[in-house]
Amino acid sequence: MGFEPKIQGIACNWCTYTGADLAGTTRLKYPQNLRLVRVMCSSRINPSFIFRAFQLGADGVMVGGCHPGDCHYGTGNMYARRRLAITKKILDFAGMEPERFRVEWISASEGKRFAEVVEELTNTIKELGPQTKFKIEK
Amino acid sequence: MTDAKTIETRLKEEAKKLLESGVVSVVLGYGPGYDEKHPMPFAASTPEEAENLVFNEFCTANMARYIGRYPAGTKLAVAVKGADSRAVIVLIQEGKVKREDLVMLGIPFKGLKDQATGREIDEKTTGATYNPVIYDVLLGDLIREAAPSPYTVLAELQSMGRDERWAFWEKELGKCIRCYACRKACPMCYCDPCFVDQTRPQWADKSPNIQGNLMYHLTRFYHLAGRCVDCGECSRACPVNIPLYLFHKEVARECEEMFKQKAGMDINDKPVMVDFKVEDSNDILE
Amino acid sequence: MKKITPEKFPAFVSALLGKGPLWAPVADGETVNFTLISDPVQVTLDFYNTTLSPKGVFFPQSEEIIRYTLGKERIESEAVPTDVKPQVVLGVRPCDVRSFEVMDAIFESGGITDPYWKKRRENTAIIGFAFDTVDPADFYNAFGIHAADERGSDLFLVKQGPDFLIKAITKKGEELLSALGLDDASADDEKYYNEKIARGPELKTRTINLEGAPDKLTRAFDSPYWQKAAMACISCGTCTFVCPTCHCFDINDETLFRKGARRRLWDACMFTNFTLEASGHNPRTKVSQRLRQRVSHKFSYYVKNFEVTSCVGCGRCTRSCPVNIDILSVAEGAIKEGEKQ
Repeated sequence: MGFEPKIQGIACNWCTYTGADLAGTTRLKYPQNLRLVRVMCSSRINPSFIFRAFQLGADGVMVGGCHPGDCHYGTGNMYARRRLAITKKILDFAGMEPERFRVEWISASEGKRFAEVVEELTNTIKELGPQTKFKIEK
Repeated sequence: MTDAKTIETRLKEEAKKLLESGVVSVVLGYGPGYDEKHPMPFAASTPEEAENLVFNEFCTANMARYIGRYPAGTKLAVAVKGADSRAVIVLIQEGKVKREDLVMLGIPFKGLKDQATGREIDEKTTGATYNPVIYDVLLGDLIREAAPSPYTVLAELQSMGRDERWAFWEKELGKCIRCYACRKACPMCYCDPCFVDQTRPQWADKSPNIQGNLMYHLTRFYHLAGRCVDCGECSRACPVNIPLYLFHKEVARECEEMFKQKAGMDINDKPVMVDFKVEDSNDILE
Repeated sequence: MKKITPEKFPAFVSALLGKGPLWAPVADGETVNFTLISDPVQVTLDFYNTTLSPKGVFFPQSEEIIRYTLGKERIESEAVPTDVKPQVVLGVRPCDVRSFEVMDAIFESGGITDPYWKKRRENTAIIGFAFDTVDPADFYNAFGIHAADERGSDLFLVKQGPDFLIKAITKKGEELLSALGLDDASADDEKYYNEKIARGPELKTRTINLEGAPDKLTRAFDSPYWQKAAMACISCGTCTFVCPTCHCFDINDETLFRKGARRRLWDACMFTNFTLEASGHNPRTKVSQRLRQRVSHKFSYYVKNFEVTSCVGCGRCTRSCPVNIDILSVAEGAIKEGEKQ
C-alpha cells in the first residue's frame, strides 16, 4: 500500500527556496511529498501556519531559512529562530510528535543538503504514519 | 506578613489620599461582591467610593487588565499583588501604558484562596513571587519567605509519555466551550481584533470541537509566550475548569530556559519574542 | 409512585437507557454537566446544580443544519435531518425545567416554529429533581418557582435519605414509569413525598420584586448606573453560555477545502463583536451597553414580547462569572434607577 505523506514546506526566498531550485537544476532526486511554499523571509512565518498546516491534514511541516547571521534582511531569521523554537516546544508539550515539524537552515548553495533533508524527513514521517491528532475531518 | 485587614485599611487610606489630591482620577482595586468570599474588581473615582475598597484572601483578580479601558494619559492607581505587578510591567514594556501615568499600590501577600473551592492556590498564582516586583507605595511588609518554584506543579505532565500527554490535553481542551473567558480575563490579551475573531483568514472554526479548540488554545499559548506572568486568572475564569495554567507555565519555563529571561520582571527588558540574541543557540530548534 | 434504593439505582438507569438516549448529570472533577451516557456508573445525582444548563439537550451548542460540497460549477447541498429518537433527561432541577417553558415562547413565536427545538422538545421526557438545599446565588422564588416544583416535569424525583422517590406527573411520565420495573413506594413514602412538595416553598431563595420591572428598566436606559454596574465585567460571555434561557445564535459556514457544513452556534450579546456590522460599525462597543442590553432583554424586552421573564433565577451566571457579577443585584439597581426617573 505505502502511505505517501503530505509534507508542507515553507522556505525563504533567498536561501532555502534557491537551494531547492539548485537541487532541481542539478537533477538531484528527492521524494515528491513536499509541497513547497515560498516566503520572502523565515520571519514572515506566523506559527499559526504550522498549527493550521497540521489541522488541514499535513503529516509533516518543514521550515527552511537562511543560516542565522546570513539573513538577506539582516536579522529576520534571528526572530524566526525564537518563534519556531517556541512553536516546537508547544507542539511537543501538547503531545504531537516533534519529528513531524522540522526547521533547517539551508543556504542557496546547499542544494544537496536540501534534497537530503527532504529525503530524511519523508522517511521519518513515513514511519510515523499519518498525522491524526490535529487533522480536521469533515 | 501583614494581615489582609491591615492591608485593606491602608488601601483605603492611600486611595482616599490620591483621589483627594487629584494625583489620580481612578483607583483600581477590589470591592464588595454578593458575599465576603466573592469580592469584585472595583474602580473608585471619589474618596467616598474609596471607602468601599476591600482586600482579603479571595482577591484574586488581576487588576492590570482594566488599565487598557482608560484613555491614554489617564492617571491611575492600581492595587497590585506579585503577579499583577509583573503584568503591569509587561504592559509598560509593550507600550500600552506609561509608567508615569501609574501609581502602583503594592500588596505583598501569601495565602490567596480560590473563590470557588476555598483552597489555597499559590501554585496557580505565585508568579514566583509573593511580593510586587514594582510599586510606588507598599501596603504591607515585604515577605521574606521565598515563593515556591512555579514549575514544580508541571512534574506530573513532564513525566508522562507523549501519547499520555496528548490524551490529557485532548480530554482537557475537548471540554472547552469557547466562551473566551480565558482570553478576557488575561491582562495581556488586548488585541483588537483577536485572531480568533478574524474571518479573513479564519484561523479556527467557531464550533467547540477538539480541533478548533486546539487551534485556539495553542495559538493563544504561543501569543502569551514570554508575556504570561502566571497570575492564574485564565484558569480561574474557565467555567469548565481546564488547567490552562499548566501549559502557560511550561511555555514560560521554556522561554526562561532558552532565552534566560522571565516575563515582567524588569521594566527595561524587551519581551523575549520581539528580541533576539546573536548567541541564541540552534539547539533550541531540536 | 415508585422507590429506588441505592442498590437498585444502576438498574433504574439501565432501564432508562433501554428506552433510548439518556442525558444525565456526569461529574468530571468538580464540574458536573448533562451528558449523553452509556453506563449507569457515569451518573451522579449528588450535586447542587450543573455548571452548564440542560438547554443543550434541546438547543445544542453546535448544530449542523446543511451539509454541502463545493463543485466546480454548483454547490451540492442537503439539509441535515433532525434525527431525534425519544430520549430522556434525568435530574433536572425545578428552575431549569421552567427554563424550557420560557424558551418555548421564543422558539415558537410570530408564527414561526424552530423545527429543531420543537422536535427535540416533543421527543424528550423530563425527570425533574427537587432541591434539598439553597445556594446563596439562586433566586428562582422570584419567578414563582419553588424548590420542589413539579411543574413541567414528566416524572419527578425526591430524595428520602439514601433513596429516591419517583412520581409520574404527566401521561408521558406515567407510560415511562410503568415500563421501568421499579419497586412500589409505601404509603409512608407517599406521605413523605407529598409533604416535601407541599413544603417546597419553605426552602427560600433570595427574591426580587419584579412588578413594573419592564417599564422601570426602559426608564433606566440612559442612567450612568450601567457604567458602574459593568466596571468589573470582562465581556467574556460565560454568563450567556451557562444560562438556561439565553438563546442567541449565529450561523456559520465551516468549510474545509471543498466540503463543509452550515452550523448554528451559540452566540453571546456580551461578546464585544456581537453587534459588529458588515459596515464596520458597532452600536455596542462599551461593556456597559452590552450589560444593559443583556439585563434589559431578560427583564424587560422579553417580558413585553412574551409575558414571561427570560430568567429563572438558577444562579449559574453569578456562580460562573469570573468577576462575581450578580445579575440580581444589577437588576435591582437598575430597577431602582428606573423608579427615580
